[in-house]
Amino acid sequence: MRRTAALLAALILVAFAGTAPAAEVIRIGHTVSLTGGASMWGQSEARALDMLAGKINEAGGVLGKRIEFVRYDNRNDAVESVNVARRLVTDGVVAVIGPAQSGNSIATAPVLEKAGIPMVVTTATNPYVTIDQKTGKVRPFAFRPCFIDPFQGTVAARFAITDLGAGKGAILYDVGSDYGQWLAKYFEEAFTAKGGTIVAKEAFRTEELDYRAQLGKIKELAPDVIFIPTSQKEAAMAAKQARDIGIKATLLGTDNWGSPDLIDLGGSAIDGGYFVNLTDLADPDIQDFVAEYRAAFGEDPVLPNPVMAQDALIMIVEAMKAAGSTEGAKVAEAMANLKDIKVTSGVLTINPEDHDPLDKPAVIQQVDVAGRTFKFVKKYVSVD
Amino acid sequence: MFLQTVITGLSIGGIYALMAVGYSLVFSVLNFSNFAHGAVIMLGAYVGLALATKLNLGFGLVLAGSVAGAGIIAVLNEKLAYSSLRGRKAPSLYLMISAMGCAVFLENLVYATIGSRFYAFPEFFGRQVVTLWGSSVSLLDGGAFLFALLAIFGLHLFIRRTRTGIAIRAGVCDMTMCSLMGVDLNRLIAVVFLLAGGFAGVAGVFLGVKYLVYPTMGWVTNKAYIAAVIGGLGSLPGALAGGLILGMVETFVSTYVSSVLRDVFSFTLLIAFLVWRPNGLMGIDSEDKV
Repeated sequence: MRRTAALLAALILVAFAGTAPAAEVIRIGHTVSLTGGASMWGQSEARALDMLAGKINEAGGVLGKRIEFVRYDNRNDAVESVNVARRLVTDGVVAVIGPAQSGNSIATAPVLEKAGIPMVVTTATNPYVTIDQKTGKVRPFAFRPCFIDPFQGTVAARFAITDLGAGKGAILYDVGSDYGQWLAKYFEEAFTAKGGTIVAKEAFRTEELDYRAQLGKIKELAPDVIFIPTSQKEAAMAAKQARDIGIKATLLGTDNWGSPDLIDLGGSAIDGGYFVNLTDLADPDIQDFVAEYRAAFGEDPVLPNPVMAQDALIMIVEAMKAAGSTEGAKVAEAMANLKDIKVTSGVLTINPEDHDPLDKPAVIQQVDVAGRTFKFVKKYVSVD
Repeated sequence: MFLQTVITGLSIGGIYALMAVGYSLVFSVLNFSNFAHGAVIMLGAYVGLALATKLNLGFGLVLAGSVAGAGIIAVLNEKLAYSSLRGRKAPSLYLMISAMGCAVFLENLVYATIGSRFYAFPEFFGRQVVTLWGSSVSLLDGGAFLFALLAIFGLHLFIRRTRTGIAIRAGVCDMTMCSLMGVDLNRLIAVVFLLAGGFAGVAGVFLGVKYLVYPTMGWVTNKAYIAAVIGGLGSLPGALAGGLILGMVETFVSTYVSSVLRDVFSFTLLIAFLVWRPNGLMGIDSEDKV
């Protein structure tokens, strides 16, 4: 009994010895999908953040303190994301990076807001991540470095009409995902406003595998382009099934397509499809980052998450420097007024009205299966 | 559009039928729903994937390897998880609980060892499409459907015509009597699991080729389970009919009503059958299973 108690005491001592006193480090939470369908981006995101934090710490840290991450796996699940957020609050982090997905971010935001901890999501593009849908007011503690879905949907619609010459469009989306539902809506609005017609808008449920019934309906109406705002897995299956039933329309997607997986999973069916993305490996602004990542890990970063996560960390660091403090409310206030700061993806200014960046560019990429790459097609800085 | 819907319905139904056969076989002999069947299908798909991507084998060898692999896995599953329960004459509910445990265990084993990534099979047949009266059928779908029919028919012949088949049918009627007549029950049950596993291998490869391979892909088998219940658990022609009916109903609902309401219809159909015709279409009574 005595020995057990002694052992226990020793264990507790060891456990505490592991965490340095709070005064010397800045603990930043990182909620990320390290497992599950989005783990490819999540793993790459974690590496990029560790890489940047290492550099910042070597250069003397922030306000004389070292940055330390408290990282939990949210498994790309909204319920788990809330659990992770609660744990981060109890762990006493001063700011949070992530999640990467809109649904998970919308679930996380109220928890962190209540605790007064600023959060910077990485690639969550839904407007209601930073705006409270009920009140229509900006969430004081939620920020992002990436563009938002109305912009993305508009870019996609505009590209379809002006560059692809499409007059008739169809939409296939996941009714169980906030991301897909809203993008379907924004695309439809922009496409119609530009003079196109949406001939079919078909939905499927999350985890469903067969979309041929929906695609059969779409085929009948012969659209020029099919907009598929889903992640790479659903996009690949939809592409295969569309080609199987003889659909020849151009496929158009969104930033969630942007994984090398898309080519493995979709094969020849996805070849030639276009999608909107946040960054491109060929983007001149991120070449230093790409080179550094390749040197460190021997492979390409899985874009765009690593770049956006670094932007998020830089936003937090710059806001802390501007506020001269790590206190949540002060950091959030400083973050809302960040102007022309240098981030990994370029230069960033936060709009205090909605906590979104101003003039964040979007790129159009084309899937090239033979070359196993996404070809850079064009870049949009603004759409009107 | 009508014909295209029928074709899609049949091709989905064919896969459901392949999976439903595995449920029916085990149910007919051991009288419990083997919920680990979905996990065996998933493992069969991974076996096929490994053969296709690591050894670059052609489709025929991949299919054969996956049938063998999944068959062995199913037999091992029975030996490790069910045989001791059987030996102690445990109620079939315990077997079902053990099966559910196996499903979760196997799935998590794959998560822990292979990971949660999605994989696709190489494109064995390209994307060739045949046009029939204005509707398109991919060669893969057509081939998969014919193969499913042939395989189920072959199994039917096996059970009707061979000595082992007769022993299986005898076991379905009365296990104790069957063993008194000199049939080695352990061997008989192993054969049943081998057959069910073989079908799981075929279903796994087809599912993987048509869709993707990932740890939770076995969950689609709850649809196959509905198909087996509709057709009559324990009946092979019933499994086929149930699979095709379910595939058609789902596709027609998705096309003409709403794709979001599809599962509402599937499960309503299940409940309707359980209430009004619990033995399904062809599971007339326990004497006539398989």
